Amino acid sequence: MSNSHSDTIPLHPSSQSDIDEIENLINASVQSGPATVLPARPPSPPRASIPVSSSPFIQSKIPPPPPQSSSSPNHKVPSVPAAPPPPPPVGNSSSIVATGFGPPPNTLTEPVWDTVKRDLSRIVSNLKLVVFPNPYREDPGKALRDWDLWGPFFFIVFLGLTLSWSASVKKILHEFWHSPIMDWELDDLDTLSLRCKSEVFAVAFALLAAGAIILTLNVLLLGGHIIFFQSLSLLGYCLFPLDIGALICLLKDNVIIKMIVVSVTLAWSSWAAYPFMSSAVNPRRKALALYPVFLMYVSVGFLIIAIN
Amino acid sequence: MQIFPPNNGSGRGYQTLEAPAESFEQQPPNNWKGVFNISSYTQYFNVDTDVVINRLISSFHPTAGDFFNKIEANPDLYGLIWITTTLVFMLSCFGNFATYLMQKHTDGTTTWSFDVGYVNVAASGIYGYAIAVPMAFYFLLQYLGSNASLIRFWCMWGYSLSIFMPTAFLLLIPVEFLRWIIILITGTASSCFVALNLRSYIEGGTDLTIIVIAAFLLQMALSIFIKVRFFP
Repeated sequence: MSNSHSDTIPLHPSSQSDIDEIENLINASVQSGPATVLPARPPSPPRASIPVSSSPFIQSKIPPPPPQSSSSPNHKVPSVPAAPPPPPPVGNSSSIVATGFGPPPNTLTEPVWDTVKRDLSRIVSNLKLVVFPNPYREDPGKALRDWDLWGPFFFIVFLGLTLSWSASVKKILHEFWHSPIMDWELDDLDTLSLRCKSEVFAVAFALLAAGAIILTLNVLLLGGHIIFFQSLSLLGYCLFPLDIGALICLLKDNVIIKMIVVSVTLAWSSWAAYPFMSSAVNPRRKALALYPVFLMYVSVGFLIIAIN
Repeated sequence: MQIFPPNNGSGRGYQTLEAPAESFEQQPPNNWKGVFNISSYTQYFNVDTDVVINRLISSFHPTAGDFFNKIEANPDLYGLIWITTTLVFMLSCFGNFATYLMQKHTDGTTTWSFDVGYVNVAASGIYGYAIAVPMAFYFLLQYLGSNASLIRFWCMWGYSLSIFMPTAFLLLIPVEFLRWIIILITGTASSCFVALNLRSYIEGGTDLTIIVIAAFLLQMALSIFIKVRFFP
């Protein structure tokens, strides 16, 4: 009954209700029959959610199940001897389905919001591991086992946008102040704003993205042991304090405050990057690996002060 | 990565003059694993912190002329890459600051503005010079029949730029006369470093003197370009 159902409407969105129906049947049969019947049933839920891959199973399994499934609710006694022959093949197929196609249905059928939430929570947990003090901080291998590039991407783009936004405002005011002709057209302002914005964003983005790659290559070239994308991820997460600094500098307009904020966030970023960069290379080359990192963060800090 | 222990064991042996040629000649066939393999290039970054500091200090002695002897066994590209990068950063940041100070000196009502174009010019100028000029001299010497080493040329020209780093800081002084004196002294020192080392390296006949002079003039041109473009 259940198999014929899933054959006729394999892709129907209401497959979830099919699964419920099947589960009800299983529960009914479990309550009535012995526990050996249970393995024969589970293959059907995955089959319903991924019809394409499991359709061969259904074709091959059609002959045995119908009498069994139709008989099990009605006649309790015959179902018990009928069950033992199928279990070996069905049990195998169920384990294959569970291992091969087990996880995907969970992430494929979940709402988009759940996916986004899971990524965000991973970014937050990675951020906690890298930037804030915690017991794993001295062991960089443990710190970012499941690295991701979403966090670094967000931090780099955020920094670039913050810088370019404040640059465009500042530059327009500057040009306006110094221009001998005061009848500026609105188009001129728009063009100027767009040009400054894109230029600053390009420089900031290129500096940060290429910088992270070059710093990782530098460690590898110095003979260090580091995983490429994990290092990219860590360097990106270490930008987080500077992101905060850029945001504060955007809101405050005092040079002294800006310098203090940038120095503090610069020290924080360097402190966050120090353990894994220094442990990746030979102690005699620690300074050679750390100096470029420090140079990149100093130049970012300078960009924040200079442009804001 | 596996070439680390042997060199570590010999300490700073590769700085001395004993048998440098054989040890270097042996390395390339063993370590070269293809253009796109990072471990092919680790031999050019096989330096420790004290070695790099030692080479930096010797690049501030323009008249010694023995730099090629120091790097003979183990030329590195670490100096070239990070000295030029530091210089690009310093020129673009101090250049902006110096321009602001000069305008403030004359005008008084100037507001701070950061010209991102400095970064582009500094990057293309410095990287272009540090990569193209040694390459040109390498091909020129190859053409003239003298055997040269491209890596060693890059290393020497890279370290020759290190003296511009303190200069970029000193050029912040908003007095035009002083700035010209500073940049001319630095340019002369750097050019002497390049020319003397090049002369001791090729130690050739009279027809190669023109190459040494060309290297000297190019380095002077770079220092004047730095002054005129970034510290107007």
